[in-house]
Amino acid sequence: MSSFLHSIRWRIQAWHGAILFVAIAAFCVTAYHFAWDHQLRRVDRELQESEHLLIRTLMDAAKPEKDAGPMRPEELAGHLLAGTITLPPDVIARFADSSYFSIRDGDGRILLQSANAPADLVPLPVPANGFNEATRAAGLRRESLRSSARGFSSIIGRDITRERDEMRRFAWLLAASGLGVWLLGLLGGWWLAGRAIQPIAAISHAATRIAEGNLAERIDTSGTDSELDQLSLVLNQTFERLHTAFERQRQFTADASHELRTPVTILLAETQRILKRDRKPEEYRDALATCQATAERMRRLIESLLLLARQEATSPSDAQVCSDRNTLVHQPCDLADVLRDTAGQLQPLADARGITLETHLQPAPCLADSSMLSILAANIVGNAIQHQNPDSTGGTVHITTGYDDGQVFFSVSDPGPGISAEDLPHIFERFYRADKARAGSSGHTGLGLAIARIIAENHGGSIKAVSSLGQGATFTVSLPSPPAT
Amino acid sequence: MRLLVIEDDPALLRSLAATFREEGYAVDTADDGAEGLRKARQGSYDAVVLDVMLPKLDGWGVLAGLRPDIRTPVLMLTARDTVPDRIKGLDHGADDYLTKPFDIDELLARVRALIRRAAGQTQALVSIGAVTLDTTARLVSLDGTNVPLTAREYSLFEYLALHRGEVVSRATLYEHLFDEDDDTLSNLLDVHVSNLRKKLGHDLITTRRGLGYSIP
Repeated sequence: MSSFLHSIRWRIQAWHGAILFVAIAAFCVTAYHFAWDHQLRRVDRELQESEHLLIRTLMDAAKPEKDAGPMRPEELAGHLLAGTITLPPDVIARFADSSYFSIRDGDGRILLQSANAPADLVPLPVPANGFNEATRAAGLRRESLRSSARGFSSIIGRDITRERDEMRRFAWLLAASGLGVWLLGLLGGWWLAGRAIQPIAAISHAATRIAEGNLAERIDTSGTDSELDQLSLVLNQTFERLHTAFERQRQFTADASHELRTPVTILLAETQRILKRDRKPEEYRDALATCQATAERMRRLIESLLLLARQEATSPSDAQVCSDRNTLVHQPCDLADVLRDTAGQLQPLADARGITLETHLQPAPCLADSSMLSILAANIVGNAIQHQNPDSTGGTVHITTGYDDGQVFFSVSDPGPGISAEDLPHIFERFYRADKARAGSSGHTGLGLAIARIIAENHGGSIKAVSSLGQGATFTVSLPSPPAT
Repeated sequence: MRLLVIEDDPALLRSLAATFREEGYAVDTADDGAEGLRKARQGSYDAVVLDVMLPKLDGWGVLAGLRPDIRTPVLMLTARDTVPDRIKGLDHGADDYLTKPFDIDELLARVRALIRRAAGQTQALVSIGAVTLDTTARLVSLDGTNVPLTAREYSLFEYLALHRGEVVSRATLYEHLFDEDDDTLSNLLDVHVSNLRKKLGHDLITTRRGLGYSIP
């Protein structure tokens, strides 16, 4: 019951009903008054006409000759008292039905009155001088009263029962149609309120489904720019961000569990095998070496996954959602220095594979997190060193830094087997391996280029690879150059 | 019994091969799908252990290349453990399915079961007269007492016992007992058979001249 009373629709409906009722009632009352006024005015006009007619008739009747001067009121009163004046039949007929008249002198004596004049007529008091005029409703009668200082007072009246009945009928009609309009209005209001809260219900349903775990669900925005659509858009954006964050989390867990399964299998298989019976020391040593290498591989994998997850969490697209805990520290640094250090660190690896590292380093100042840039550079250069033709001995990896077209860049070219056009769009995806070989034992995790890309993007830069099979590959990382100071 | 292990991770491949060899299997290995399929189609294996994610040709491709004409039981290893993946594996002709990481004893038990089922046996214990073969413990007993056998002797007897009633040719025996790197002379078979007869009774294994051996 409380939910029914708290429903927005019901509340809108209740307010709407109340306001509509007041408005219709006010309208009906006003209309009734106008109509009643109109009726009274009509009756009054009628009374006035009758009065004029009566006075004129009296005057004419009292005056024997046509050319005589105006008669004085005293004379007229005399004639009336004497009963010498008779009214023509058409005037008598006019005062036969519902109209009546009564003419009296200053003392209240009846000079002349119609046969149907009620007995309880109350004339206006005679004023000291001038005239008294009034129009009044006395019960079911309407009367126009007049009195003058000369001692005359007249009452012309009419029974208005018919008008009263008419007005009562009109009032009922008004009430009935007002009620009808009100009911129609209620229906319309119910429909309107329903329509108005329909998007809310849709939003609520969508949100429920999302809460139930269907994170891909979105609120349908009808495209009009209503307030609710804007709310839906905001909610959808929020859901989108949540979904992305959740997906990332899920992806990390899935990747971690998937990629860790093989090394864990190796650890289990190797230890269970070796513990089945007593063995020679060399066998134990071999098995332990395998386990160690596998554990190191797991460590690399976990570190790479965490690095990737943290970098993705700092990506600018959802900077609003995540805390500033992982934001990059941008400091002035030079790509040339970063690449020089990286080349120095990877020199032993290159030597082991008979590869020459050639650097062409031009100053390339930028604002960046230098530790992240080092990881980025090491991943790209390491990738170039590792992807060499197995049969070729040696080769030269060219490392170039510089400034070009408002951006600083570094590029790494290797003479390796290259990347096929079909693989090229995917090499920056996590765990994508062009040769589909699991190269876990040779040191990479399948995350190096994915990490490189996210670092570049987090710095507002980009990374691209140009390659074709047999032609080697060139990776170029471009970063925005800081504004000149 | 001879197995083919197809797995691209070198460390895991080495470990699995060593495990199976220590259990007395002859083991061939392949580190990509194409080579694995070639070997599986050519050699006569008692079972194939197949990883799903392989370079060149993945596990599904290998399975598709084997079935329906090669009926060697296949156990698939995979890092994916969703139900649709398992169903896909079984529907595509795999005989069993094991998710990484697995217990090595479970893997061994499943391979034993696959081989036993493929040979038409339903139990781990096989009795032939007074001789009992326990494929789980890899033990042979005569009248209730254990008879110590060498690994080769055991494998030879196990193969013949699981294929009881069939005449097994020397070539078949050779193929199922030795891996591809083994260059043991085939007349060693006769030595093993004669040793088995000495240990388990002379009329246990019969020789069909020109055809092979059989346990009736």
